[in-house]
This record gives sequence, C-alpha cells and structure tokens, in this order.
Amino acid sequence: MSVDKRTLIAVIGDEDTATGLLLAGIGQITPETQEKNFFVYEENKTTKEDVLEKFQFFTQERDDIAILLINQYVAEKIRADIDSYSNAFPAILEIPSKDHPYDPEKDSVLKRVRRLFGE
Amino acid sequence: MEGVYFNVDNGFIEGVVRGYRNGLLTSNQYLNLTQCDTLDDFKLQLSSTDYGNFLSSVATEGLTTSIIQELASQKLYQEFNYIRNQTRRFNKKFMDFITYGYMIDNVTLMITGTIHDRDKAEILQRCHPLGWFDTLPTLSVATDLESLYETVLVDTPIAPYFSNCFDNAEELDDLNIEIIRNKLYKAYLNDFYNFISSELPEPAKEAMQDLVVFEADRRSINIALNSLQSEDIAPDLKRELLPDLGKLYPIATAHLAEAQDFETVRAIVGSVYEYKGILESGNLEDHFYKYEMELCRDAFTQQFAVSTIWAWMKSKEQEVRNITWIAECIAQNQREKINNYISVY
Amino acid sequence: MSATREQVFPTRMILGVMKTKLKGANQGHSLLKRKSEALTKRFRDITKRIDEAKQKMGRVMQTAAFSLAEVSYATGENIGYQVQESVSKARFRVKARQENVSGVYLPQFESYIDSNINDFKLTGLGRGGQQVQHAKEIYSKAVETLVELASLQTAFIILDEVIKVTNRRVNAIEHVIIPRTENTIAYINSELDELDREEFYRLKKVQETKQKETARVDAEVRAKAQAAAELQASQSGKSLDKVIAENKITEAKEESNSNENLVANQEDDVIF
Repeated sequence: MSVDKRTLIAVIGDEDTATGLLLAGIGQITPETQEKNFFVYEENKTTKEDVLEKFQFFTQERDDIAILLINQYVAEKIRADIDSYSNAFPAILEIPSKDHPYDPEKDSVLKRVRRLFGE
Repeated sequence: MEGVYFNVDNGFIEGVVRGYRNGLLTSNQYLNLTQCDTLDDFKLQLSSTDYGNFLSSVATEGLTTSIIQELASQKLYQEFNYIRNQTRRFNKKFMDFITYGYMIDNVTLMITGTIHDRDKAEILQRCHPLGWFDTLPTLSVATDLESLYETVLVDTPIAPYFSNCFDNAEELDDLNIEIIRNKLYKAYLNDFYNFISSELPEPAKEAMQDLVVFEADRRSINIALNSLQSEDIAPDLKRELLPDLGKLYPIATAHLAEAQDFETVRAIVGSVYEYKGILESGNLEDHFYKYEMELCRDAFTQQFAVSTIWAWMKSKEQEVRNITWIAECIAQNQREKINNYISVY
Repeated sequence: MSATREQVFPTRMILGVMKTKLKGANQGHSLLKRKSEALTKRFRDITKRIDEAKQKMGRVMQTAAFSLAEVSYATGENIGYQVQESVSKARFRVKARQENVSGVYLPQFESYIDSNINDFKLTGLGRGGQQVQHAKEIYSKAVETLVELASLQTAFIILDEVIKVTNRRVNAIEHVIIPRTENTIAYINSELDELDREEFYRLKKVQETKQKETARVDAEVRAKAQAAAELQASQSGKSLDKVIAENKITEAKEESNSNENLVANQEDDVIF
C-alpha cells in the first residue's frame, strides 16, 4: 500500500458541492489520460450504476487518491457498497450537500462506531 | 409630438411592460418572504404575488432553491419573449441587442466545452435561453478562433465583435476564454451604446445611455479589481478589456489599467463622483446592484420610452436573484444575512 | 474444543516442551491483552473525536455552501460549469504521515496548498470576482476540516481492523491454545502416571513369583533333610552330632542339585 503516492482528494457530489471543492483547488485532470478526479452527480440523470462505476474507479483503479468525498445522499444510492467497503485507502468521507443536511444516522463509519460500542 | 407616434408602434408594449413592472415584488412582499420558516411557507407567500402558482407542480420534498431559481427565471424568459414578439422595427433591434450579451456568454460557454471535448447536448442545456441562436449547436465543430469565426459566427449578429478584437491566429485555451468573453463584452457595449445614441429617440436615449454607461463602469471596476491577483494580465491587455465608455472613461480607465493594488483602484474609483465610496465599505456587488436598481426605477419615470423594457428586464433579474437569495437563506438557515436583498419598489 | 489435545508421544521430553509452550502462551496472552487495551483506549478517543468532527463538518460545509450562494447572487449565473472546465491541476493536496501507536502505523493526512497553481484566476473577472475569492478561501478551510476528519476516519478503520485481529489472537490464545496445551500436559502426565503404575505392578508381580519359588524350594529341602535324618537314625543310631554333620554335607549336595533344578525350572519358564 503505497501511501506516498496518494495525494489527491476526489469527489462525487452534486454540482454545488463539486464547484465549491474545486474552487478550493482539489481538482486535477491527469494529463496523460484526461481523467478527472471529480464527478458531478445530477439528480434524475445520473444512474445508480454511474455512481457505482465512478466509486469503484476512484477506490480501486486509481492509486493517487487519498480521500474520496461523497455527498451523503449520493452515497445512499450505493449504500451497500459503501458499507462493505473497508479499505483504509482511499478514505471515504460522507459529506453534506446544500440541500441535504448531514445525517449521522446514515454514515457508514458512524454506524460502525455505534455498533462497536453497542449504542 | 413624439408621444403620439410612439404609441402607434409601442403603446401596447409599454403598457405590458408597465404592467409587469407593477408585478415586481414590493418591499412589503419581500418582508413577508423573509419571515418564512421553510421553503413551503416561501412558496405559499410567493403564490400571493405576481408569480402565482409557478411552483405548484413542485412537491415539497423536491423544493430546492435551484428549482425556485430555475422556474422564476423561466417566467422571466417567457415574459421577455412575449414582449420581444410584439416589437417592431428598431425596437425589435433594441430587443435583439439586449440578447447579445447572453449570446456572448453562450458562445464562450460553447468554446469552453469544445476545448474540453464535452458532450454538446450537455452544454446546450446550460446555455442561456435568451442568448440562443440557430447556429449555436454547430459551434462545437470549431477548434480554433479562425475556423470558429469563419464557419459559424460570421452569420450571427455578434460576428463584428469577434472580427474586431482578435488576430485570428490565436489558439483557444482556458486563459483566453475569460479574456475573449470580456473583449467581446467590451465590443458589445460599445456597439450597443452607439446604437442607442444614433437610433433611439429621446427620452429613451438618455435613460438608456445612463444604464449602458453604468454597465460599462461596473465591468471596468470589476475587471480592475479582480485582475489584481493574476499577474499575467498586463496593463496593455487590461486596456483592451476595459470598456472605453462610461463615466470612468477615459482618464480613470487609463489609470485603472495601470493600477497594481487595491488602494490605487480605490483611489481611482473614488475620484469619480458616482462611484465615490463604493469600495469603502460593504460588498461591491451590493452597491452596484443597488445603484443599478435605482437607475432602473428612475427609468420608469420616463414615458414613451423603450428604456423601460431594459429597466424592467434588469429589475426582474434582480428580483430572481433576490428570491433565490432569500430562499437560500431560509433553506440554509442563515437568518442574519437574509436582508441582504435589494428592493427599490 | 477444550477436550482436544495435541498429537504427541507422552514422554518427559515433550512434557518439558509443552510446559515451555504454556508459559510462552501465557506471557503472549498478557502482552497482547495489554496491546489491545492500549489500542482500544486510542480507538475510543478517536471515535469520540470523529463524532465531534462530523458535527463540525456539518456546520463548516453549510457555511461553505452559503458562500457559494453569495457567489451565484453576485455573478447572477451558475459558475459551476465554468469552474469544472477550468480545472487542470490540483492546488490542494494531501500528504500522508505515519504515526506509530503500539506498533500500528496510523496514517495522518496533512493538507498542503501549492500556491503557484491557480486554475480559477479569471473566474468572475467581469463580475463577482471578490465573492469567488471569498468562496475559495472558505472552501479551502472546509476541505482542511474534511482532511482532518479523513485522517481520523482512516485511523478508525485501521485501528478497528487491528483491534479485531489482536482480540482474535487474545481469544485464540486464551480459549484454544492455552486449554489445549494444558490438556496435552495433563494427558502426558496421566500417561506417565499410568506407565509408572504399570511398572510398579510388574515389579510387584516379579517379586511375588520369586518369593513363591523360594518358599517352595525351602520346603523341599527341609523335607529331604528330615527324611534322611530319620533313615540314618533308624539304621545305625549314630550320635546326633554326626547326624547333623552328615546332614550338612547332604544339604550342600542338595543345594547344588536344587540349583540345577532351578535352571531346569527357568528353562521350563522360557518354554511355556
């Protein structure tokens, strides 16, 4: 597990989330392949399969991503896959979006926390 | 005397526009809107205004600020197109001129998409409806400015703006796009101003000149300020971007092109009476919007003038922004900033 | 499970090996237990911080989202597409540093900003540039918070895994290895005891046979001697002294005879 290579933050999120994070400067387009490290989810347009495909692409195929940010309500679509994801790298982080406030009950990691301590 | 003939062609339009103007939200209505606790309340409040039940088909859970903004804008486009279809002769040209600004936005958007090989259909969706022209979808065949101009743009009304400001050999890339956009805008404002000065009768001429001059000044100040952080815009280039009309032109504009830091810009802007203090405190855009709205409100005091169309258009755009803003504040629970909207009616 | 034991020959040497093993297992158990406790302590600490950080994230992201609303108010349009298309190189990156907790390497993400890169210099040039700048700053801060949270979360996942493994080991030692070794030791002990008892019994048996034999031979000799004495007494009436002396001679003779008998006896034993 080469940690040093992983320097990027990737994002799967709605347009506003992606725009904001890109403004912060996390966006990168790999010069050789023209691959982006962000994916804009569009309500009623992006299918569950698209999200899943991108999720797997970011988590499994790319080896330069350290953190994957994903809007919680998008994560809901592929909840089973996220719950079963247990690798340390890249770290998956569920973030709120503008129209969907953060709900700790749904967070994969927090769910694990609660389960572990029997709360 | 002019008034008599004005009504032959334009009486109906003016009537419609003034009707629309009366439909603009008033301070009281804004006040009511800001009292809402949820977007549902907000929708209810809006339904008692001129917006009526434009949100009625949206379910509660799907009610987001972006949808409100989208539908409110649609209403604006409908009204604009309605007026546009009623106009004749030079007034039609006037209406066209209003849309050129949006066309420039669309063209730059298409160019951006072309550079990055984006799906054309996706970009077209994002184009501004008022800036639509028939050959817009074919824009994506171009790879450099020259072919872009020769194959597509030459038939559009904004073609002269292009030909005037480029040596065609220039390749397209990201940095250029913003510059292209601003150069085009500068040419557009010039052209618009000339059109107003030569074709429009008084009193529309005077009112419109004021409004366009303001537009030019706003762009000048903004460009001067926002280019401070990027070193690669040299004073020469900046000079090409700053509109050469307006209250700042020519002295202040020349100085702005040379300005290297915020203090200098502030001193230059402060030397022009109209914009004194605009950079001293608060939000620059807020000052501009406020000033613009006041100009628009004043434009309505003139009768027998097409400038009311422009004034209504701008007021309406501001109104959509206000509505979006208030909705955003409600949705995100940012009460303390909810009163930042601009209302003059 | 606890009834199982290792497949060994019950010898004293193996017993020694097993005893060392048991000792080792006990020591390992207590060490691992301590490690697991140390990790768990850290783990609880992290979980608490995750909880807090996630709440904080909610607030930070909200402020950030709002700054974007200010941008769209100022520019009057959606800059999303333009921003997406302007992206080329990441300005905001992370570096992973490792931290050692009880032999476990926990990655710690550190964010750093390459200020030479700026993809959005011209965004909002004609309008709203200040708001764009403001949003940029706020989002940069927000991402920092996110990176912090990601560190915690990664540590959480790794620790969770390590603690699970350690606990599994502790439990394996406690519930499988130690009982099994103890069983083996008990087994060897019981086998050795059994051998001891067998040996003892065998020896006792040998002794018993020997005693019986001796008794029988004794009886025979005595009977012969008596018979001879009676014979002599009746024939010549010799003095008692002489009889006794003669007796002794015959006894010696008999003795050599009985020795021969014994050998014969033993030969019989071998045959049967």
